[in-house]
Amino acid sequence: MKRRRASSASTRLRRGVQLAFLLLFLGLLVFMRPRPGGVPSEWLGLFFYLDPLALLLTAVAAHAAPPTLLAALIVVVVTGALGRVFCGWVCPLGTLHAAASRAMDPWRKPRPERWSRWQTSKYYVLAAVIVTAALGLQWVALLDPIALLYRSFATAVLPATQLAVEATAGSIYQSNPGVGEWRLPALSEPVYRFLRDDVFVRPRQAFLGSGLILSFFLLTLALNAVRRRFWCRYVCPLGGLLGLFAWRPWLVRKTDAHVCNQCELCGLACHGAATDDGASGWRPQECMGCMNCTDGCPEHGVTFVFRPPWGGADREKPVDLSRRGLLGAAAAGAAAAVGLYNTPQARGVTVNPELIRPPGARREPDFLERCIACGSCMKVCPTGGLQPCLTEAGLAGLWTPRLVPRIGGCEFECNACGHVCPTEAIAPLPLTDKQRVRIGLASFDLGRCLPYAFGRECLVCEEHCPTPTKAIYFTRGEFAARDGRVVTLKQPHVDPNHCTGCGLCENVCPLRDAPAIRVRSGGESRDPKNQPFLPG
Amino acid sequence: MSRIQTRRRFMLDSAALGVAALAAPRFAPAGPTDVPVDMSIARWKPPAPSAALPDAMAARLAEAAIVQLGGMSRFVRRGDVVWIKPNIGWNRKPEHAANTHPHVVAQLVRMCQEAGAKTVKVGDNPCNDPKQCYENSGIAPAARALGAEIVFLDRDRFRNMAIGGKRLKQHPVYPELVECDLVINVPVCKHHGETEVSLCMKNYMGVVEDRGEFHQDLPATITDLTRFMKPRLCVLDATRMLVANGPTGGRLDDVRPMFTVAAGTDIVALDAFGCELLGHKPESISTVAAGRDAGLGRTDYRALSLKETELS
Repeated sequence: MKRRRASSASTRLRRGVQLAFLLLFLGLLVFMRPRPGGVPSEWLGLFFYLDPLALLLTAVAAHAAPPTLLAALIVVVVTGALGRVFCGWVCPLGTLHAAASRAMDPWRKPRPERWSRWQTSKYYVLAAVIVTAALGLQWVALLDPIALLYRSFATAVLPATQLAVEATAGSIYQSNPGVGEWRLPALSEPVYRFLRDDVFVRPRQAFLGSGLILSFFLLTLALNAVRRRFWCRYVCPLGGLLGLFAWRPWLVRKTDAHVCNQCELCGLACHGAATDDGASGWRPQECMGCMNCTDGCPEHGVTFVFRPPWGGADREKPVDLSRRGLLGAAAAGAAAAVGLYNTPQARGVTVNPELIRPPGARREPDFLERCIACGSCMKVCPTGGLQPCLTEAGLAGLWTPRLVPRIGGCEFECNACGHVCPTEAIAPLPLTDKQRVRIGLASFDLGRCLPYAFGRECLVCEEHCPTPTKAIYFTRGEFAARDGRVVTLKQPHVDPNHCTGCGLCENVCPLRDAPAIRVRSGGESRDPKNQPFLPG
Repeated sequence: MSRIQTRRRFMLDSAALGVAALAAPRFAPAGPTDVPVDMSIARWKPPAPSAALPDAMAARLAEAAIVQLGGMSRFVRRGDVVWIKPNIGWNRKPEHAANTHPHVVAQLVRMCQEAGAKTVKVGDNPCNDPKQCYENSGIAPAARALGAEIVFLDRDRFRNMAIGGKRLKQHPVYPELVECDLVINVPVCKHHGETEVSLCMKNYMGVVEDRGEFHQDLPATITDLTRFMKPRLCVLDATRMLVANGPTGGRLDDVRPMFTVAAGTDIVALDAFGCELLGHKPESISTVAAGRDAGLGRTDYRALSLKETELS
């Protein structure tokens, strides 16, 4: 077994900082929970505010951006001065990739991490992303590292952890093992209760299609077996964007030509594969500032120094992008945007009745211009009804939120989703405004509804209807029984003047398989075209 | 060790009280002095007709109702574990009257503690998100401040129990709740679309899971549940009443001040009283009539040993 070299102080410092930011990220994610009687703190979206890609794409696609996103300009300035230290020291996804890379070191042949031409691919990805955004689609924002990590943890990793906890605690509780008088649940139940009440949002939380989200996330991690920090080097559009700003940083790598013997050991543990031409060349746009090179040099010939950008740039090599590549990427982005957008639904020919957007969501094209599918709204939804779309909004709306009333309705006294949306794809409405927003309209399936179809009393939907004046009312109606008797019972109706489409009725309908009352998107406030009734 | 004892004691007590409750109206001589009080009503006469109910007065009404009934020590023994079961069904504020008044609950917590209860638990199985219901109803903060244990009914901890009713044979019930020495049933007096009223018997819907189907026969299922729960003490909160758009409410126009708290050992009698407050004849309400027909109590509550008081 090969022993690793002891880490130097700078490496330990970097790892400490990375871990701190990762824990901060996870902490903010865990604290992203509904707050009874209030809205979650704005600070919970901190990492999105620091994401220049989210700012750029929102600005390009929607021609506007929430002021909080302007905090990302700090990262831009820092990158201009220090290079891509965001990637090397801050980005929580980068930290996970760094850790995964290290764990997968034994599977790769040890070799100097030389710059490869393929690393320019992330700039082309960025170009394609910007073009799609300009054409009104945030689809490739699926690749934004902060959104990617947030979505993966909120809808897949955390719920999977919750499943493990619930299953373990549940089986311990049921089997009640122990020694003598002492029972194991005395230990497991308090832990479980803490997690249930203070960490998890709601019991048995699960998200539709989370397996796909998890697979995508695990794939990005697995690629580290091919190259160290594969995602960060080759794919990440935020890395590409920051690389552009790291063109001529103040903090530069200096190689002492007198001691350098081109052994390339400096490149052995390089995160960004920023060395080139033996050890002498350095590509600042690829450097993540991990400083492993300073440790790696046996001659202590590699240092980082501050030097004004107008000084000589003898050994720094800019990333050379080809015009052909950029035009190709732009064309690909445009083709993707047009291809994804050219569906009957996106063109306004059809409306998907199942696409019930959260209250305050913008009208569909505007919504897709802003939503980066980060999953914040799904994480915070107290009923768990906000779920990632698969194809309900077209491929362009992959993993954007929709309400699935069968899983959870829209809580009447809650407006959290709009207040956590980092790009204001869902507007942060005051509670009283949110309670007037209609996200759909409930209607009965009289062929299934118990009092109509089977002559049984029910009215659970009416009981749960949360509007102050109930949108579901009932009249006495008749049901002809088989033996000729006529039964009089209460039969429910929907009053469209009061229904907000919250879906609590659908959620509690005793016909669990296919509820006899369903919410469809028709009548949603956000879309003047999707209205069934004559106004007035 | 102590758990076995208390459970046995609970069952014996329940059986004894059940026999007594059934036998009392038939065989006991109706003397006002030698029978315990079955039911008590406390009302507040506001200084002005438009006066709002002070929180402290809600607590005083609850206190007066229990004291008239013989005090909490009649029901709670030193070392008991008591479960207070308010209606925390909905994510609404106290003024909406969809849930029990938090200060009625708090007063009961206090009185149980003074009577020597080891633990006082407060919990319900809400229809909306439990965390939001507990906080926004004001009940969890008020009870927590007094040191009560706030319990969330865990969906994975319900256990199928033999209900042995007419309609419900087996049903998932929350074990921790039925294993307590005493369950105090503290509903809010309010309107309900399907059953016209939601009172003490209906409040037991909050001790079970999978209750959506109950609506197909609420009188029978509620009666079955009530018999299973063997009510010993119910406190009906009519400090203010939701009179329309129940049981959820949300419109202040639908809330009427009533400044009344009733307590008693006869659940049907309390429900009958609640029906009258809401403007119904008890016999016309199917759930209450079903409880009476099942022998769970009597609707003519005035025939019971009844005490009334008016606070000012």
